[in-house]
Amino acid sequence: MSAEILELAGGKSPDAKLGGDRDGAAKITPRPALLAGYWNLTELRYDYPLVLVADDTGVSPVRSLTAVIDGVLREIAPRGAEGEAARKHVLGIEREIRGLLSADAGGTLSELWGRAKNTLLARAEGAAADVLKENLDRARSALAYDGEMVDCGAETADTLIEHIWKAVQADKIRRLRGKIEILALRLSDILKADAMQSAEARDAESLERSVGTSFRDSFDFEAMSRLLIEAPAGDPLPEERRRRIGDALSVLDSQKFFAPWDGGEDTETYTFLFDSCAAAAEAFQARVAEMVALVKAISIAELEVENGYRESKHDPLFSGFDENALSPEDIASFPSYLVRLSAGRCEPAEKAHLIELLSSDLPVKILARSDDLLEGLSGKRFSFGAGMSDLASLALGQNNAYVLQSTASHLYQLRDRIVDGLTCPGPALFSVFSGSAGSNPDLPPYLVAAAAMEARAFPAFTYDPAAGADWAARFEVTGNPQAEADWPTHRLSYADQDLQTIAQDFAFTFVDFVACDPRYAQCFEPVPADGSDAALVPVSEFIDPEAEQAAEAVPYVMLLEDGGLVRKAVVDGRLIRAARRCRERWRSLQELGGIDNSHARNLLASARQAWEDEKERELAVLKGRPVEEPEAPTAEPAPAEAEAPIEEAPEEVLEEPAGDDPYIETPRCTTCDECTEINNAMFAYDDNRQAYIANPDGGTYREMVEAAESCQVAIIHPGKPRNPNEPGLEELIQRAESFM
Amino acid sequence: MTDPIPQCVFRAEDERYTLADYQGEEPRWCTGCGDNAILAAVQRLCRDEQLPPERTVFVSGIGCSSRFPHYMNGYGFHGIHGRSLPVAEGIKMARPDLHVFVSTGDGDCCSIGTAHWIHAIRYNMDMTVMLHDNRVYGLTKMQVSPTSPQGLQTKTTPRGAYLEPLNPLTVTLGVANASFVAQAVDWIPELMHDIIESAFHHKGFSFIRVLQRCPEFLPDMFEPWVQDPAKTLLLVHEDGLQPSPSLSKTYKNQEAHDPADLTRAREIASVEDPIPVGILYRNDDMPRYEEIRPTDRSYTPDTIKGALEAELDKFTIAPANGGEDEDTAKP
Repeated sequence: MSAEILELAGGKSPDAKLGGDRDGAAKITPRPALLAGYWNLTELRYDYPLVLVADDTGVSPVRSLTAVIDGVLREIAPRGAEGEAARKHVLGIEREIRGLLSADAGGTLSELWGRAKNTLLARAEGAAADVLKENLDRARSALAYDGEMVDCGAETADTLIEHIWKAVQADKIRRLRGKIEILALRLSDILKADAMQSAEARDAESLERSVGTSFRDSFDFEAMSRLLIEAPAGDPLPEERRRRIGDALSVLDSQKFFAPWDGGEDTETYTFLFDSCAAAAEAFQARVAEMVALVKAISIAELEVENGYRESKHDPLFSGFDENALSPEDIASFPSYLVRLSAGRCEPAEKAHLIELLSSDLPVKILARSDDLLEGLSGKRFSFGAGMSDLASLALGQNNAYVLQSTASHLYQLRDRIVDGLTCPGPALFSVFSGSAGSNPDLPPYLVAAAAMEARAFPAFTYDPAAGADWAARFEVTGNPQAEADWPTHRLSYADQDLQTIAQDFAFTFVDFVACDPRYAQCFEPVPADGSDAALVPVSEFIDPEAEQAAEAVPYVMLLEDGGLVRKAVVDGRLIRAARRCRERWRSLQELGGIDNSHARNLLASARQAWEDEKERELAVLKGRPVEEPEAPTAEPAPAEAEAPIEEAPEEVLEEPAGDDPYIETPRCTTCDECTEINNAMFAYDDNRQAYIANPDGGTYREMVEAAESCQVAIIHPGKPRNPNEPGLEELIQRAESFM
Repeated sequence: MTDPIPQCVFRAEDERYTLADYQGEEPRWCTGCGDNAILAAVQRLCRDEQLPPERTVFVSGIGCSSRFPHYMNGYGFHGIHGRSLPVAEGIKMARPDLHVFVSTGDGDCCSIGTAHWIHAIRYNMDMTVMLHDNRVYGLTKMQVSPTSPQGLQTKTTPRGAYLEPLNPLTVTLGVANASFVAQAVDWIPELMHDIIESAFHHKGFSFIRVLQRCPEFLPDMFEPWVQDPAKTLLLVHEDGLQPSPSLSKTYKNQEAHDPADLTRAREIASVEDPIPVGILYRNDDMPRYEEIRPTDRSYTPDTIKGALEAELDKFTIAPANGGEDEDTAKP
């Protein structure tokens, strides 16, 4: 037994305590017993592998194979015995595809499906093969998604985030491109309309060119030109405006931020994928001037197509248009930058760039991947959290960037949050632990990553500054298993020496995570099977500050030996210290996420104390004095609100000037032109194109009466004649009677 | 994108549009024609909404009513008989930012254009459609129309129209996706304006049947209704029309009708006398085709040409010998 192991139990030899006689030289391959059920991942249905859906709609850009297959089963395999065969075959091909991927085969879902199908068919015989083929063909046609498949491994985070980023980017570019193309089209339409008015556009030669070849002989272009030149043309565009539109158009046409719809191949465009923050920042700076020019051109174009550009107002504004005029929305409408930091340590200079970017407004999305959380053993020091894995906590301090931390195993569950981070206008940091350190060749990266998440060694959290004004809205730790607890607990069932089943709950602690790593094998000392283990306590209990410990307590974990035996193992003291630190970190994350927050707890305690004090005081008062009758409710009901007299809307009184003056019920006029045709000096239209009497003396009484008679809606009232000397008055007055 | 100018600066700069800004050519309709009233109401709407004339399109087919685009100062498309709606749909699809108005007559819409009408209702694209229904073909000097009353003597039916007239309201209300159906009469300008205003604000295919007088060929057709306000049924509702008190004083025959009630709308639509006036049906939740099938790319002449050539290339017949000797490859 090494001196280090002795140290963990306070210098006392566990051997002495347990009375065992184990040979210290025999080491087991460490494996936490709690992971026993998950060893063979290809037999299990879980989030991985993933299908990176190959369409550019940006809607659910990633699906798990399990979800895709479930969709197929819903479609083709009815519940119950009827769908049993189809279900079995489809689940069989799912297992086969999983196996192909874990054996490092790559490809799209449809490719792997084809290979898996051939393998399965080769194994089947006779009629069974026919049924299998039919079921698989039906399932194949029900496959709703296709795309490249990825299993959980070192590159998963890079591939997945780049894939989602591309989908988000494509959507963003589609919108910006649509806007720019429409503006460019409208601007060129303005120029074209102007050109069509020019003399050159109307000469015989250009007219001939515009007709094409088929009917060229049928036209006399000279005559056509003569006619067109005689026709009145509108005013040509002012020179200044034509120049402005031309300038804006050339900026819109020559931008390099993305390729146009069709001319993708020969157009040189900028790249937005980088492998260092320094390079991304440099590229952004180099493109700022062009970005300003493009935003300016778009703004001018938007004004021009609306015919809203006023030189007196806008010229001074646009002449001073520079980098400072770019709004965050402007910057956000451009493609975002994806920086994939290489796994490993982050150099100080690079870290400085990273912090600078994270505290800026720039749309930079940074992926920092860690492969190994347990480096540093060689120096005999446990430096957990060194290198890249602490970047997320660092970014939290900036309070500005979107931050997501997760292990690769949980990325699928957090896919919506990844989309959020990639679509948010500002910077984002994705810190991911891949679990692919490679130190344990037996353990798939998925299990290592999932173990890190379980053990709180790399907990999941997200910080979204746009989600609200406070931490409660912005910060979440909900992705973690049993997030309320210090450690998640799981039931372990095993058979003891007498073949009796024992079921016991164990917490999966940081120590269990370390137990996955062969480099730390010497930190675990198996307890002999026949030894007394009275002093042994599980790690979670040993390091629980609230639990009382006997002085001689020794921490242990349940490990799985080769051959499937479960055995307790005593844990090195340094691991215990590291586990304590890990729990402290987790507790502070919990507090940020609103779980058992100490401020809230203190506040609650003081509020409760204040309440109790208050109640006690009240009780003392009551005890000291006779209890007063509680005040009777006031007998007098509140005076009923005086019923407001319902005010009737004052009736709109139609203007009916009594007397001898002629008038028109203007609101009823139907604009039929009858009266204005009779006399447009006497009758005229108002602002609503409805008739009124503009001048009662503008015509004769005869015209007035005739207008009244011809009015379709009979709204002209002629009044009395204004000129008593007009001939035929008597008859006219009689005719006017019915319109009075 | 960046809008560095405060909106108030724009407003102070821009003149307000007046009625005259929407006036195109001088109307050539007969005096007393109901088309004038519709024109006045639409011009008032444009002025009240301050629609930039270059943002309006007036589309029509053939008939007296279809001269409408000439008299508006905006974009216009005086198209072919019965095809105003497909043209309007194409405009809306390509330029959803434009306000599209359609003027169509009882022949243009209910006879030669019926197929387009039915499907335009189903497409429910955002436009204001005014069916100028005078129940006769006036441009061809009094011929029978699908909405002419049975027995009407015209140049083409000297013994009187043989069939029951078609009711544009019940037809429209019977088509899937109908989203706005109203009826106006040219002799109550206040309501005509209010109905056109509601139709304009409705997002979808707003169909207004306007009963209008033809003083030249059917001078007495609507006389009983013009003279007797009791023969007009005003449909009033807080979600529909709210006539002014003075108008209500004249038109006392009113019914509170919720435009969401399709069943009652269909009942009201089938009544010929009294003439219902108001909004019969409105449903703001109907899907619109331009939203279901939006295009986010612009079709420049080059992209259209490219697409056409790619399509036509499919029919290219490769010469048998690889094109080396063209003459022998020709028949």
